[in-house]
Amino acid sequence: MTRLAGACHCGAFTAAFETTDPAALQVRACQCGFCRRHGARTVSDPAGRLTLAFAEGATRRYRFGRRSADFLICQGCGDYMASVMEGVAVLNVVAADIGVFADRAPEPMVYDSETPEEKRARRLARWTPVTLEVRP
Amino acid sequence: MSAAEPAWRAGGCHCGGVRFEVLTGETVEAQTCNCSVCAKTGFIHVIVPESRFRVTRGAERLTTYTFNTHTARHTFCSTCGVKAFYRPRSNPDGWSINARCLDDTEGLSITVEPFDGRNWELHADTLAHLSREAS
Repeated sequence: MTRLAGACHCGAFTAAFETTDPAALQVRACQCGFCRRHGARTVSDPAGRLTLAFAEGATRRYRFGRRSADFLICQGCGDYMASVMEGVAVLNVVAADIGVFADRAPEPMVYDSETPEEKRARRLARWTPVTLEVRP
Repeated sequence: MSAAEPAWRAGGCHCGGVRFEVLTGETVEAQTCNCSVCAKTGFIHVIVPESRFRVTRGAERLTTYTFNTHTARHTFCSTCGVKAFYRPRSNPDGWSINARCLDDTEGLSITVEPFDGRNWELHADTLAHLSREAS
C-alpha cells in the first residue's frame, strides 16, 4: 500500500490516503455547483483506507441538495477537503495537495440525473473506507 | 445596448449567502495563480477596478484567512467555504473575482493565462492595467 498524506492550507485538517496504485485511480471533476466553485478534484479507492483528522469545532459539516453527505470544510482557511457518508469518503486531492495527482487530467462527472438510491449505491461502491479522527 | 458594452454579471458562493456583481465586457482576461492558497481551489482570477465590483449580499458572512506575514487576506464564505472574491495584493486598487463563481458565463469569452503568484511582486506590473479605472 502507498500512503499519501496531505493537509489543508492552515494545516488543521489532515488526510492520509492508503491505496495500492495511485496511477490507476480515476481523478474526477464533479460538475456540480459546489465542486466547480471549489475547483475540486476527487479520488477514491474502495480497497484503500482514508484517515481524516480534524477538529470538530474548526470544521464545517456542510450539507446541501439531497443532504446525503457531509462536505468537510476547514473553517480556518476555507479548503474543502473531503466528503463523508456511512463509513466511506472521497478526498479532494487539490485541496489536500497530493502531488502524485497534480498532473492528472480530470474526468468531468455529471451526477444530476441520479436518483437518491443510485447516488448512495455509487458512493458506497466507489468511495474509500474512512476513519475519522475527530478532536473537539 | 450594443454587444460590445460592458454589463453587470452576478455571482456568488455555493450556499447563496455571499453575492457579488462585476462589470465586464464580453472578452475577459483571467489568470490562474500558482501560490499555495490559489493552488488549493483553482481560483480563476478576473481582476477589475473598484468601480466595477460590488458585494450585493453577505459581506458579514465572510471569513478572512491570513498566514505568515498576514499581508494577503483571502476571504471565503463562512458556510460553504467558497472563495468568491478578494482584494489582491497585486492590485490593491481593485478586486479579483473568481470566474468559477459567476452565475452564467454564456456569451463570455474568458482567456485564462497562468500567473506566477508565488513571485507576484516581480510580475504585478503585468496586471496593473486590469484594476486601473478607465479615464
